[in-house]
Formats: sequence, structure tokens, C-alpha cells
Amino acid sequence: MATPLEMLQKVQDKFSDNILKTSDRLGEATVSIERDCIVDLMNFLRDDTDLAFDFLMDLCGVDYLEMGGFERFGVTYHLYSMKYNHRIRVKAFIPETDPKIDTVSHLWHAANWAEREVYDMYGIGFNNHPDMRRILNPDDFEGFPLRKEFPAEGIGYRDNFEKIERLGAQ
Amino acid sequence: MGLESKLGDNIFTTQLDKFLNWGRKNSLWPMPFGTACCAIEFMSVMQNKYDLARFGAEAMRFSPRQSDLLIVAGRVSIKMMPVLQRIYRQMAEPKWVISMGACASSGGIFDTYSTIQGIDNFIPVDAYAPGCPPRPETLLDAIIKLQKKIETERSIHYK
Ligand code: SF4
Repeated sequence: MATPLEMLQKVQDKFSDNILKTSDRLGEATVSIERDCIVDLMNFLRDDTDLAFDFLMDLCGVDYLEMGGFERFGVTYHLYSMKYNHRIRVKAFIPETDPKIDTVSHLWHAANWAEREVYDMYGIGFNNHPDMRRILNPDDFEGFPLRKEFPAEGIGYRDNFEKIERLGAQ
Repeated sequence: MGLESKLGDNIFTTQLDKFLNWGRKNSLWPMPFGTACCAIEFMSVMQNKYDLARFGAEAMRFSPRQSDLLIVAGRVSIKMMPVLQRIYRQMAEPKWVISMGACASSGGIFDTYSTIQGIDNFIPVDAYAPGCPPRPETLLDAIIKLQKKIETERSIHYK
């Protein structure tokens, strides 16, 4: 098992150019990166013999807006190693103007549906994803509900159904 | 029954209606459309403590074609609404709908883009059971109210 500092050091040595920030606050290793190196980094984390992150626990989108991220959007990955029982968090930042990042679904199949959910809710596209469609909302839904500017009540989809009348209404 | 269209509205058809309504109201066949927590409460209504069989409605059918009472228990999402409408259309006349719980009746606390704000916007509803979730007694009350309503129905309206 590697301590957070050891893990971060290893990542730092290899990807120093793309790392925005690292943190071991509360004993949790967190590394913030530029989106371009995501596949290389994930590949390294998975295949390095001392790290061996064989399990992608979760992957989710974040809309930072005014929360002080490096960019408007982020995708956060939580990795776990069954072998060593240690964890790491990876945050990739994505600019609003070009909301796209490479998929990691070829490294962990678990990423497939999670990435579709991020796409569905935040409109962040995943390059090379095998099946980039909406997963929760209807296919003809417009907008991305978890973006901060999307109104909680939606923009009318819930009111646009055909009304069925009672047969033989009195 | 087809008879009333020939005979029109006379003493014979009204007596026939009474008889039919008596039969219909005491043998409702519910089709549960349970999408959330309310459906759990609905299960307890079917069990022996509250026992819907006392009102003749214990024969649950999970096929809309075999049932005449649609009980919508739980929130209906925008993806589920077309399904609900389709199920409603598949049921044979005469048919009735109970909207169970705050969510089905009004969207409840879920004033969000994905939740229908009351199924009565899109399908006809005959009785509402308020509550979150409604107590079993409330649902029984809704069924009794529905039975009272069925008593007054006229088959002449179903042509
Ligand atoms: S009314 Fe309450 S109990 Fe019923 S589905 Fe809504 S939240 Fe659940």
C-alpha cells in the first residue's frame, strides 16, 4: 500500500507538465490535471505495479461555474485498488468553449454508462466513447439539466404531452 | 352492453345500469402502476391487515387488458408518462384511475424538470388519495369514493 504522498509523488514525477494541483488533505490523494493527459494518466494508474488501481469506483461531472475550478467544467474520477486497498481522486478540468474529454471506457468498462450520464447531465462529450447517447433523459430532451444555468423546473418538457380525454365525457 | 343504444334512456336501461354498476363497483380489478415509495404503501393495503378484498378489489392484474382500475402510486417521470398513457389506452372501458399520493397528484415536492406535475394533466383521474405516502385508510377511502362514483354512472354514456 502506498501512502497518499507516495502516490502523488509518483504521479508528479511522470506527469509534472500536466498537473495543475495535488493535495493530500485529510489523507486523501487528489490530483487535478489538464484534460489532455487523462488517458495516459489513467493508464499509468491502472497498470503501474505499485499503484494497481484496478477499480473505477465512480466518475462524475461537476459544473464549477463560480466555485473556483480551473475551468468551468470538471470530470472527477475515484479510483480504488483491490490489491493494495488504497484510493485516489483525479479531477480533470474542461473549458466551457469546448466541453470534451477522452473516454476511459476502454480501461474500465464501468466508465461506459457513467460517462453517458455525465454527457446527459452536463453536455460533456467523451471522445472515442463506443455509444455516446443520453442515458437518463429521453432522447429528444433538450438542454443539460445539471448545468447551473438550467432552471430546476426545466424548460417545458414536462408539460408537453398529449392530453387523453375521458371516453364519453359527460 | 349495446342494448342501451337501441332502447335509449328508459326505466329498463336505468335498472340495468344499477345492476351493472353494482357488479362493477364490487369487483374492481386493480392494475398497480407503482413507481416509487407509494407503491410500498399500496402493498400493505393489499395485505391482510387492511385487506382490499373486503371491497372486492383483491384481484390484482399486472396486465392492463385484464383490469379496470389503474392505481398510479408514485412519481411519474417524463420518461414514464408515455408508458402510463399507453397503459391507460390499453385498458378496456369502463375504466377508472386513482392517483395515489402527492407525487402522482401534483408532483409533490419534486418540482423538477423530470417529474410530471400531476398525472391529471394528461390522463383522466377519478379519485385522489392525498398524503406522502397516503395511509392505507386514505387509499381505502379513495376506493370507497370511487365506488360511490361508479354507482351513479350511466352506461348510456359509453356508446
Ligand atoms: S407522495 Fe411521498 S410516498 Fe408517495 S411517491 Fe411521492 S414521495 Fe413517495
